[in-house]
Amino acid sequence: MNCKECADKLDRFVDRELNSTEVLELQLHLESCPDCQEHYEFEAELKRLVRHSCDCDTPPAFREKMRQLLT
Amino acid sequence: MAESPAQTAFAEEALTHLDTLYRGALRLTRDPDQAQDLVQEAYLRALRYQHSYQQGTNMKAWLFAIMRNLFWDRFKGSRKDDVSLDDVGEFVLYEKLRDEGARPEADVLDKLAASEVVKAVETLPPLHREVVLLVDVEGFSYKDAAQALGVPIGTVMSRLHRARQQLQKSLYDYAVESGIVRGSDGHQVPQS
Repeated sequence: MNCKECADKLDRFVDRELNSTEVLELQLHLESCPDCQEHYEFEAELKRLVRHSCDCDTPPAFREKMRQLLT
Repeated sequence: MAESPAQTAFAEEALTHLDTLYRGALRLTRDPDQAQDLVQEAYLRALRYQHSYQQGTNMKAWLFAIMRNLFWDRFKGSRKDDVSLDDVGEFVLYEKLRDEGARPEADVLDKLAASEVVKAVETLPPLHREVVLLVDVEGFSYKDAAQALGVPIGTVMSRLHRARQQLQKSLYDYAVESGIVRGSDGHQVPQS
């Protein structure tokens, strides 16, 4: 695998959508390529940042209202 | 409202997905009151049509599908063609920052405010925003996201790709505007 092929598959790797063979090939490339490894860590961190930033608590009063609605 | 054991089990499982529904509704409507109305309506519809839910299948995706369909019906007049995403080309934030001499994670990612990330997500067109919500925020697989959105997996992948490029462009613009990095017009100097 070269860097271009790695970059093309990075999103699906971060999303855990590659098959086991593709994962192995990509991991082998990352181990031998610091630039791609850094790019991977950036994309993974960006995904975590989006998830954590968009997280929010359901208001307790609304949660109770929905509990009463459903049960 | 639940009566039989099956209905009770349905209701209890449905309630475990409240956080996912509320987060999704809040990011779609961008309004807490509208989000609560939307989730309540989604649960009422789910109860009404619970016979159509197949036990053992993905209830979270099923409930999200109900909620987002109501969103499009109620708030957008069913105009699912609202896809006006700016053409940012092949924008890869990591490569952009590297080309400008920044350390992408340490100089930029670690300095982005959560509120700006939310803002960048919420300014995506809804058709693209909902894919980011499902895959990046809720951790759906492409297959489950496709089920929730009623589109082929390829459509999920293409919308996600475009959404992430727009998102990264928005974050880059914010980083430049806020002085985290300097734009590509001049010499880039990461701000300490």
